[in-house]
Amino acid sequence: MKKVLAILLAGMMTATAFAGCGGSGNASSSGSSNSSGGSSAKASGGKVDEAMFGDETNISLKVWAPDKGVSLAKEQIETFKKMYPNIKFKNIEVVAQGENDAATQLVNDPNKAADVFSFPSDQLNKLDAAKCLSPVSKAFVEDISAVNAEGTVKAATLKDSKTKEEVLYAYPETNDNGYYLVYDKKVVSDDTAKTLEGILKACKDAKKEFVMDCGNGFYSCTFAFTGGAVIDGFEDDGETQKFKEYDENEAVDTLMAFAKLMKEYKGTWKSQDPAQIASGFKNGTLGAGVDGSWNSVADKEALGDNFGATKLPTINVNGKDKQLISMFGYKYLGVNAKTKFPRTAHILAYYLSSEECQQQRAEKIGWGPSNTKVQETDFVKNDVTLQAIAAQSKNAVAQVNIQGTFWQAMGTLGNEMMKDGWKPDDKAATKKLLQTTIADVRDEG
Amino acid sequence: MIKSYKARRIISNTLIYIILAVMCIIWVSPFAYLLLHSFRGEGYVTVNYLIPHEFTFDNYIKLFMGAGGDASINFPRWFLNTLVVAIFSCIISTISVLAVSYTLSRLRFGARKKLMNVGMILGMFPGFMTMIAMYYLLDAMHLTRTLVALVICYSCGAGLGFQISKGFFDTIPRALDEAATIDGANKNQIFWKIILPMSKPIVVYTVLTSFIGPWCDFILAKIIMGDDRANYTVAIGLQAMTTPEFIQAYYKQYLAGSVCVAVPITILFLKMQKYYVEGVTAGGVKG
Repeated sequence: MKKVLAILLAGMMTATAFAGCGGSGNASSSGSSNSSGGSSAKASGGKVDEAMFGDETNISLKVWAPDKGVSLAKEQIETFKKMYPNIKFKNIEVVAQGENDAATQLVNDPNKAADVFSFPSDQLNKLDAAKCLSPVSKAFVEDISAVNAEGTVKAATLKDSKTKEEVLYAYPETNDNGYYLVYDKKVVSDDTAKTLEGILKACKDAKKEFVMDCGNGFYSCTFAFTGGAVIDGFEDDGETQKFKEYDENEAVDTLMAFAKLMKEYKGTWKSQDPAQIASGFKNGTLGAGVDGSWNSVADKEALGDNFGATKLPTINVNGKDKQLISMFGYKYLGVNAKTKFPRTAHILAYYLSSEECQQQRAEKIGWGPSNTKVQETDFVKNDVTLQAIAAQSKNAVAQVNIQGTFWQAMGTLGNEMMKDGWKPDDKAATKKLLQTTIADVRDEG
Repeated sequence: MIKSYKARRIISNTLIYIILAVMCIIWVSPFAYLLLHSFRGEGYVTVNYLIPHEFTFDNYIKLFMGAGGDASINFPRWFLNTLVVAIFSCIISTISVLAVSYTLSRLRFGARKKLMNVGMILGMFPGFMTMIAMYYLLDAMHLTRTLVALVICYSCGAGLGFQISKGFFDTIPRALDEAATIDGANKNQIFWKIILPMSKPIVVYTVLTSFIGPWCDFILAKIIMGDDRANYTVAIGLQAMTTPEFIQAYYKQYLAGSVCVAVPITILFLKMQKYYVEGVTAGGVKG
């Protein structure tokens, strides 16, 4: 009985696992490329020829947006419907779904998931591996590549495992998923915010803290990146993390410079979760911190007029100021490979990623645009946070094509350097730490 | 060596009390933190001191009044969902557990022993092993993302947890059954009129455990509900409040929500405790 049951259950589970995604992925992606063949008119500005809808009618779609984007997405969809008066829409619903969980929810049950959804760049590989993403319609690729920042398009372009073709998998939505420096203008002046040494000194003098999370790989990879040990996709095997060539001595010197500051400013430099930063500003215990764009509303509220934001500072390595290099992600709109209305889903995603929609998002909910025209608008140019994010994005590594081993290894690197007994001037130990970290990331340990 | 018995007793008692006090503080402090900080007025997420500087009811008010509009955080709705699920699964599973236990304790039929063994074995599988299979079975019945699915999952397997109540029924003398049979009662009447009134402690125990289940279950509810926030239960709802998207604005409301979750369980326990004690003292046959 027990055996039969166990076999039955195991069988069911494998069956469901296989049934998960895959399958119809090809069918719908071919459907979307057909739709591109049908229309000779090139798409631009978010609007397409009605012929592109093909024979899809009585359309009902589900769209996932994060909570604070739901009402705006609803408005935008109303506009979308009005743009195509001859197409019959049954229902396009917007459901709140946090981006951090989007890929998990989608892979769990693609049939019940959204047709068009918002997700951060680091989930791209997971979605691609599960074959849950329908690639961007060929009719849109040219326009999207032209109007969006190069980095955002490049990061969503993956090599197809079979055909070895470069395929664009998602529609760029934002260029803002990263962290930057926030500071209390009463403690740190705009000028001192340019160097890490200056910030730490100003904080120490004012008996305030500086928060940067050193135990979380997302933040602590900054140490390695600044030293030149920058990741660059995968090796040819498609699994091992590849690093750009770097000067090991320089990387070690940079790490030593970081460790020196950590030791010198022990008690000032706190390694804490950035979720604490807004509270710290409010209580007046904090002078500056490295915080993510998703917390900027709370930070602004806590500091009021004293809110300062800029790109990450520089650090002095052997007399030379080096800019801190961070991890930086983008957000995309993806189309579910299992959608029943692939053409409409693609047209909608294309519209939602257009200049018009990005402009509205920047103005209403403060999302940093990926559209180069919107990036140049006065509104974006005058927004301190958006400017800080945009400036940091130029000194950053795209958060895409990252192996799971990366985060823990980088977190350990930060934790080791932050440890009480760590000797900042021990070159051999630092070198060994760097080598172990790289080996751990590449899973060679 | 201390000779005096009194001195030795004092020393050993002090030691024991110190140990107990330390353990008590460790055990109580999370609850104290939860309660204190659910009234905290200042700050966003956590703060680095224990006693809040400002006390306010705002977190509770916002928790219950702030919902609506486009915000997908809707605690009152989640609370109600959980309550409904808890009440239904409590009723169904209590009846089924007691009926199964009575059957296995009093009736004699062919596969009784074998059925009991199968029940034991099935109960040994960890619950999450079957969850994915359960999800797809429910999906085939078009029940995913509904509260009915939760009631089904929580109550339908409940009969397998018969061991404890069967043990209790076994202690009630069969002489009572026989007496009732002589008086003309059938098995059904014996169960409702003789056995049940004498088994209050075990009924209360079953009610309590099956009522608490839905409030605490996380994994199954999360899998079944997916993206349908309107049908969330408190456990997954509260977890959603602590995701990076919401934590800045909702952390204090999350603490307040955690306190509120304890309320229905506490009320039920206090109400039931009376019968519980009554049942224990009044049960059994006298003379």
